[in-house]
Amino acid sequence: MLVDNDIVERAQAGDGQAFNQIVQAYRRRIFGTVSRLIGRPEDVEDVAQEVFIRLYYSLDQLRSPEVFEPWLYRLTVNAALDYLRKRRKRKSEARVADLSEQQVMMADAAAGSKIELEEKERARVREFVDSLLSEVSEEDRLLLTLKEVEGLSLKELEKIYRVNENALKVRLFRARQRVLRAYAARRAGEEARKGTSDERRES
Amino acid sequence: MNGENRELDQELDRLLAAYREACEPPEPRPDFMPRLWERIGAAQGWTERLWRWASGLAAAAAAASVLLVALQMVHRPGADFYSTTYVETLLAQTEADLAPVEVAGLPVEDAAPAEHPAR
Repeated sequence: MLVDNDIVERAQAGDGQAFNQIVQAYRRRIFGTVSRLIGRPEDVEDVAQEVFIRLYYSLDQLRSPEVFEPWLYRLTVNAALDYLRKRRKRKSEARVADLSEQQVMMADAAAGSKIELEEKERARVREFVDSLLSEVSEEDRLLLTLKEVEGLSLKELEKIYRVNENALKVRLFRARQRVLRAYAARRAGEEARKGTSDERRES
Repeated sequence: MNGENRELDQELDRLLAAYREACEPPEPRPDFMPRLWERIGAAQGWTERLWRWASGLAAAAAAASVLLVALQMVHRPGADFYSTTYVETLLAQTEADLAPVEVAGLPVEDAAPAEHPAR
Protein backbone atom coordinates (compact mmCIF):
# COMPACT_ATOMS: atom_id res chain seq x y z
CA MET A 1 0.00 0.00 0.00
CA LEU A 2 1.30 3.46 -0.91
CA VAL A 3 -0.07 5.20 2.20
CA ASP A 4 -0.35 4.15 5.84
CA ASN A 5 -3.66 3.05 7.29
CA ASP A 6 -3.74 6.01 9.66
CA ILE A 7 -3.66 8.43 6.72
CA VAL A 8 -6.69 6.68 5.25
CA GLU A 9 -8.39 6.84 8.64
CA ARG A 10 -7.59 10.55 8.97
CA ALA A 11 -8.97 11.20 5.49
CA GLN A 12 -12.09 9.27 6.46
CA ALA A 13 -12.44 11.60 9.44
CA GLY A 14 -12.41 14.58 7.05
CA ASP A 15 -8.74 15.61 7.20
CA GLY A 16 -8.04 17.47 3.93
CA GLN A 17 -4.26 17.15 4.28
CA ALA A 18 -4.55 13.37 4.60
CA PHE A 19 -6.76 13.29 1.51
CA ASN A 20 -4.15 15.35 -0.36
CA GLN A 21 -1.50 12.81 0.65
CA ILE A 22 -3.62 9.96 -0.71
CA VAL A 23 -4.14 11.79 -4.02
CA GLN A 24 -0.41 12.53 -4.34
CA ALA A 25 0.49 8.93 -3.59
CA TYR A 26 -1.98 7.30 -5.96
CA ARG A 27 -2.21 9.94 -8.69
CA ARG A 28 0.36 8.38 -10.98
CA ARG A 29 -1.01 4.86 -10.57
CA ILE A 30 -4.57 6.02 -11.22
CA PHE A 31 -3.42 8.00 -14.25
CA GLY A 32 -1.72 4.88 -15.62
CA THR A 33 -4.72 2.63 -15.02
CA VAL A 34 -7.22 5.13 -16.41
CA SER A 35 -5.01 5.77 -19.42
CA ARG A 36 -4.86 2.05 -20.24
CA LEU A 37 -8.56 1.53 -19.56
CA ILE A 38 -9.97 4.38 -21.62
CA GLY A 39 -7.26 4.70 -24.27
CA ARG A 40 -7.61 8.48 -24.75
CA PRO A 41 -4.75 10.45 -23.17
CA GLU A 42 -6.55 13.79 -23.43
CA ASP A 43 -9.41 12.57 -21.19
CA VAL A 44 -7.26 10.78 -18.61
CA GLU A 45 -6.98 13.73 -16.24
CA ASP A 46 -10.73 14.34 -16.20
CA VAL A 47 -11.52 10.69 -15.44
CA ALA A 48 -8.76 10.55 -12.80
CA GLN A 49 -10.25 13.62 -11.12
CA GLU A 50 -13.66 11.95 -11.20
CA VAL A 51 -12.10 8.94 -9.41
CA PHE A 52 -10.72 11.16 -6.64
CA ILE A 53 -13.99 13.07 -6.30
CA ARG A 54 -15.84 9.77 -5.88
CA LEU A 55 -13.16 8.72 -3.40
CA TYR A 56 -13.67 11.91 -1.40
CA TYR A 57 -17.43 11.44 -1.18
CA SER A 58 -17.40 7.73 -0.42
CA LEU A 59 -14.46 7.45 1.97
CA ASP A 60 -16.87 7.19 4.89
CA GLN A 61 -18.30 4.01 3.37
CA LEU A 62 -14.94 2.25 3.47
CA ARG A 63 -15.18 -0.35 6.22
CA SER A 64 -11.48 -0.90 6.81
CA PRO A 65 -8.31 0.83 5.53
CA GLU A 66 -6.85 -2.61 4.66
CA VAL A 67 -9.18 -2.90 1.68
CA PHE A 68 -8.46 0.63 0.50
CA GLU A 69 -6.50 -0.29 -2.64
CA PRO A 70 -8.94 -2.79 -4.21
CA TRP A 71 -11.70 -0.37 -3.30
CA LEU A 72 -9.89 2.50 -5.08
CA TYR A 73 -9.39 0.20 -8.08
CA ARG A 74 -13.10 -0.50 -8.07
CA LEU A 75 -13.87 3.23 -8.09
CA THR A 76 -11.39 3.63 -10.97
CA VAL A 77 -12.94 0.83 -13.00
CA ASN A 78 -16.44 2.22 -12.42
CA ALA A 79 -15.40 5.74 -13.42
CA ALA A 80 -13.71 4.36 -16.56
CA LEU A 81 -16.82 2.31 -17.39
CA ASP A 82 -19.06 5.37 -16.97
CA TYR A 83 -16.77 7.37 -19.23
CA LEU A 84 -16.76 4.60 -21.85
CA ARG A 85 -20.56 4.34 -21.72
CA LYS A 86 -20.86 8.06 -22.37
CA ARG A 87 -18.34 7.79 -25.19
CA ARG A 88 -20.20 4.85 -26.73
CA LYS A 89 -23.10 7.22 -27.39
CA ARG A 90 -20.83 9.19 -29.64
CA LYS A 91 -19.53 6.06 -31.35
CA SER A 92 -20.98 7.05 -34.72
CA GLU A 93 -17.97 9.29 -35.20
CA ALA A 94 -15.53 8.27 -37.91
CA ARG A 95 -12.95 5.65 -36.98
CA VAL A 96 -10.07 8.05 -37.52
CA ALA A 97 -11.57 10.24 -34.82
CA ASP A 98 -10.90 7.42 -32.36
CA LEU A 99 -7.23 8.24 -32.61
CA SER A 100 -6.59 10.96 -30.13
CA GLU A 101 -5.02 14.21 -31.26
CA GLN A 102 -1.99 13.33 -29.20
CA GLN A 103 -1.62 9.97 -30.94
CA VAL A 104 -1.91 11.56 -34.37
CA MET A 105 0.60 14.23 -33.43
CA MET A 106 2.96 11.62 -32.03
CA ALA A 107 2.65 9.52 -35.18
CA ASP A 108 3.27 12.55 -37.38
CA ALA A 109 6.17 13.84 -35.38
CA ALA A 110 7.93 10.51 -35.08
CA ALA A 111 10.62 10.17 -37.76
CA GLY A 112 14.38 9.92 -38.09
CA SER A 113 16.14 9.55 -34.76
CA LYS A 114 16.28 6.35 -32.70
CA ILE A 115 14.16 7.79 -29.92
CA GLU A 116 11.60 8.94 -32.40
CA LEU A 117 11.60 5.53 -34.06
CA GLU A 118 11.07 3.87 -30.69
CA GLU A 119 8.25 6.25 -29.94
CA LYS A 120 6.78 5.51 -33.33
CA GLU A 121 6.92 1.79 -32.57
CA ARG A 122 5.31 2.35 -29.15
CA ALA A 123 2.56 4.43 -30.75
CA ARG A 124 2.00 1.67 -33.32
CA VAL A 125 1.71 -0.97 -30.56
CA ARG A 126 -0.68 1.23 -28.57
CA GLU A 127 -2.81 1.90 -31.60
CA PHE A 128 -2.86 -1.75 -32.64
CA VAL A 129 -3.75 -3.11 -29.18
CA ASP A 130 -6.31 -0.35 -28.59
CA SER A 131 -8.05 -1.17 -31.84
CA LEU A 132 -7.79 -4.93 -31.17
CA LEU A 133 -9.34 -4.53 -27.72
CA SER A 134 -12.03 -2.25 -29.13
CA GLU A 135 -13.39 -5.28 -30.98
CA VAL A 136 -14.55 -6.92 -27.74
CA SER A 137 -17.05 -5.58 -25.20
CA GLU A 138 -16.03 -2.84 -22.76
CA GLU A 139 -16.37 -5.32 -19.88
CA ASP A 140 -14.04 -7.83 -21.55
CA ARG A 141 -11.59 -5.08 -22.39
CA LEU A 142 -11.48 -3.75 -18.83
CA LEU A 143 -11.13 -7.20 -17.30
CA LEU A 144 -8.32 -8.19 -19.68
CA THR A 145 -6.54 -4.87 -19.22
CA LEU A 146 -6.66 -5.19 -15.44
CA LYS A 147 -5.39 -8.76 -15.55
CA GLU A 148 -2.94 -8.79 -18.44
CA VAL A 149 -1.73 -5.19 -18.59
CA GLU A 150 -2.14 -3.90 -15.04
CA GLY A 151 -0.99 -7.27 -13.76
CA LEU A 152 -3.63 -7.63 -11.02
CA SER A 153 -3.90 -11.04 -9.40
CA LEU A 154 -7.10 -13.09 -9.35
CA LYS A 155 -7.42 -12.34 -5.64
CA GLU A 156 -7.31 -8.60 -6.31
CA LEU A 157 -9.79 -8.95 -9.16
CA GLU A 158 -12.10 -10.92 -6.89
CA LYS A 159 -12.25 -7.97 -4.52
CA ILE A 160 -12.87 -5.52 -7.35
CA TYR A 161 -15.55 -7.50 -9.16
CA ARG A 162 -16.96 -9.17 -6.02
CA VAL A 163 -17.28 -12.54 -7.73
CA ASN A 164 -15.54 -15.80 -6.89
CA GLU A 165 -12.32 -16.96 -8.48
CA ASN A 166 -13.92 -19.63 -10.68
CA ALA A 167 -16.42 -17.19 -12.17
CA LEU A 168 -13.57 -14.78 -12.84
CA LYS A 169 -11.49 -17.48 -14.51
CA VAL A 170 -14.38 -18.31 -16.82
CA ARG A 171 -14.92 -14.64 -17.69
CA LEU A 172 -11.22 -14.13 -18.30
CA PHE A 173 -10.95 -17.23 -20.45
CA ARG A 174 -13.90 -16.17 -22.59
CA ALA A 175 -12.63 -12.60 -22.90
CA ARG A 176 -9.21 -13.84 -23.96
CA GLN A 177 -10.74 -16.22 -26.49
CA ARG A 178 -12.68 -13.34 -28.05
CA VAL A 179 -9.54 -11.21 -28.29
CA LEU A 180 -7.63 -14.16 -29.75
CA ARG A 181 -10.32 -14.66 -32.39
CA ALA A 182 -10.16 -10.95 -33.27
CA TYR A 183 -6.37 -11.16 -33.41
CA ALA A 184 -6.43 -14.26 -35.62
CA ALA A 185 -8.91 -12.56 -37.96
CA ARG A 186 -6.64 -9.51 -38.22
CA ARG A 187 -3.60 -11.63 -38.92
CA ALA A 188 -5.46 -13.58 -41.57
CA GLY A 189 -6.58 -10.28 -43.13
CA GLU A 190 -3.05 -8.92 -43.09
CA GLU A 191 -1.65 -12.08 -44.63
CA ALA A 192 -4.29 -12.02 -47.35
CA ARG A 193 -3.46 -8.37 -48.08
CA LYS A 194 0.25 -9.15 -48.16
CA GLY A 195 -0.38 -12.08 -50.53
CA THR A 196 -2.41 -9.86 -52.89
CA SER A 197 0.26 -7.15 -52.98
CA ASP A 198 3.00 -9.77 -53.57
CA GLU A 199 1.01 -11.21 -56.48
CA ARG A 200 0.59 -7.73 -57.95
CA ARG A 201 4.32 -7.06 -57.63
CA GLU A 202 5.18 -10.35 -59.33
CA SER A 203 2.79 -9.73 -62.20
CA MET B 1 -4.79 -26.22 -27.57
CA ASN B 2 -3.12 -26.92 -30.91
CA GLY B 3 0.24 -25.54 -32.03
CA GLU B 4 -1.15 -22.63 -34.02
CA ASN B 5 -3.41 -21.53 -31.16
CA ARG B 6 -0.56 -21.76 -28.66
CA GLU B 7 1.60 -19.64 -30.93
CA LEU B 8 -1.21 -17.10 -31.24
CA ASP B 9 -1.67 -17.11 -27.47
CA GLN B 10 2.01 -16.43 -26.88
CA GLU B 11 2.00 -13.70 -29.50
CA LEU B 12 -0.91 -12.04 -27.73
CA ASP B 13 1.01 -12.22 -24.43
CA ARG B 14 4.02 -10.53 -26.07
CA LEU B 15 1.79 -7.91 -27.63
CA LEU B 16 0.13 -7.11 -24.29
CA ALA B 17 3.52 -6.90 -22.59
CA ALA B 18 4.70 -4.46 -25.29
CA TYR B 19 1.49 -2.51 -24.81
CA ARG B 20 2.18 -2.29 -21.07
CA GLU B 21 5.63 -0.86 -21.85
CA ALA B 22 4.25 1.50 -24.48
CA CYS B 23 1.57 3.01 -22.26
CA GLU B 24 3.27 5.84 -20.44
CA PRO B 25 0.61 7.63 -18.43
CA PRO B 26 0.36 11.35 -19.22
CA GLU B 27 1.75 13.67 -16.58
CA PRO B 28 -0.87 15.49 -14.53
CA ARG B 29 -1.08 19.23 -15.12
CA PRO B 30 0.44 21.41 -12.38
CA ASP B 31 -3.00 22.68 -11.36
CA PHE B 32 -4.33 19.15 -10.83
CA MET B 33 -4.86 19.53 -7.07
CA PRO B 34 -6.44 23.02 -7.12
CA ARG B 35 -8.82 21.92 -9.88
CA LEU B 36 -9.68 18.78 -7.94
CA TRP B 37 -10.56 20.78 -4.82
CA GLU B 38 -12.53 23.20 -6.97
CA ARG B 39 -14.61 20.33 -8.38
CA ILE B 40 -15.07 18.83 -4.90
CA GLY B 41 -16.21 22.25 -3.68
CA ALA B 42 -18.65 22.62 -6.58
CA ALA B 43 -20.10 19.15 -5.95
CA GLN B 44 -20.31 19.95 -2.24
CA GLY B 45 -22.20 23.19 -3.00
CA TRP B 46 -24.71 21.26 -5.08
CA THR B 47 -25.14 18.64 -2.35
CA GLU B 48 -25.60 21.34 0.25
CA ARG B 49 -28.23 23.09 -1.88
CA LEU B 50 -30.07 19.80 -2.30
CA TRP B 51 -29.80 19.14 1.44
CA ARG B 52 -31.16 22.61 2.27
CA TRP B 53 -34.01 22.15 -0.20
CA ALA B 54 -34.87 18.72 1.26
CA SER B 55 -34.69 20.10 4.82
CA GLY B 56 -37.00 22.97 3.88
CA LEU B 57 -39.44 20.53 2.33
CA ALA B 58 -39.37 18.32 5.44
CA ALA B 59 -39.95 21.38 7.69
CA ALA B 60 -42.89 22.50 5.53
CA ALA B 61 -44.39 18.99 5.68
CA ALA B 62 -44.00 18.93 9.48
CA ALA B 63 -45.64 22.39 9.79
CA ALA B 64 -48.55 21.29 7.59
CA SER B 65 -49.02 18.19 9.75
CA VAL B 66 -49.09 20.31 12.95
CA LEU B 67 -51.61 22.67 11.32
CA LEU B 68 -53.88 19.78 10.33
CA VAL B 69 -53.74 18.34 13.85
CA ALA B 70 -54.59 21.78 15.29
CA LEU B 71 -57.54 22.12 12.91
CA GLN B 72 -58.76 18.69 13.97
CA MET B 73 -58.58 19.74 17.62
CA VAL B 74 -60.59 22.94 16.99
CA HIS B 75 -63.35 21.22 15.03
CA ARG B 76 -63.55 18.26 17.37
CA PRO B 77 -66.96 16.53 17.33
CA GLY B 78 -69.01 16.12 20.58
CA ALA B 79 -67.94 13.64 23.21
CA ASP B 80 -70.95 11.38 22.51
CA PHE B 81 -69.69 11.01 18.92
CA TYR B 82 -67.26 8.37 20.14
CA SER B 83 -69.50 6.79 22.81
CA THR B 84 -72.55 5.83 20.73
CA THR B 85 -72.73 2.81 18.50
CA TYR B 86 -73.41 2.89 14.81
CA VAL B 87 -76.92 1.48 15.27
CA GLU B 88 -77.77 4.12 17.87
CA THR B 89 -76.55 6.92 15.62
CA LEU B 90 -78.52 5.49 12.71
CA LEU B 91 -81.64 5.18 14.86
CA ALA B 92 -81.31 8.77 16.06
CA GLN B 93 -81.03 10.05 12.50
CA THR B 94 -83.99 8.04 11.16
CA GLU B 95 -86.29 8.44 14.16
CA ALA B 96 -88.60 10.76 12.27
CA ASP B 97 -89.09 8.14 9.56
CA LEU B 98 -90.07 5.56 12.15
CA ALA B 99 -92.98 7.66 13.58
CA PRO B 100 -96.35 5.88 13.38
CA VAL B 101 -98.13 6.44 10.10
CA GLU B 102 -101.59 7.94 10.39
CA VAL B 103 -104.09 6.80 7.84
CA ALA B 104 -107.55 8.29 7.85
CA GLY B 105 -110.14 5.89 9.18
CA LEU B 106 -107.69 3.49 10.73
CA PRO B 107 -106.68 3.44 14.39
CA VAL B 108 -103.13 4.48 15.14
CA GLU B 109 -100.98 1.44 15.91
CA ASP B 110 -98.73 1.37 18.87
CA ALA B 111 -95.15 2.18 17.81
CA ALA B 112 -93.86 -0.45 20.21
CA PRO B 113 -93.19 -3.77 18.52
CA ALA B 114 -95.83 -6.35 19.09
CA GLU B 115 -94.92 -9.35 21.12
CA HIS B 116 -94.60 -12.58 19.28
CA PRO B 117 -97.70 -14.67 19.65
CA ALA B 118 -97.21 -17.83 21.61
CA ARG B 119 -96.64 -20.80 19.36
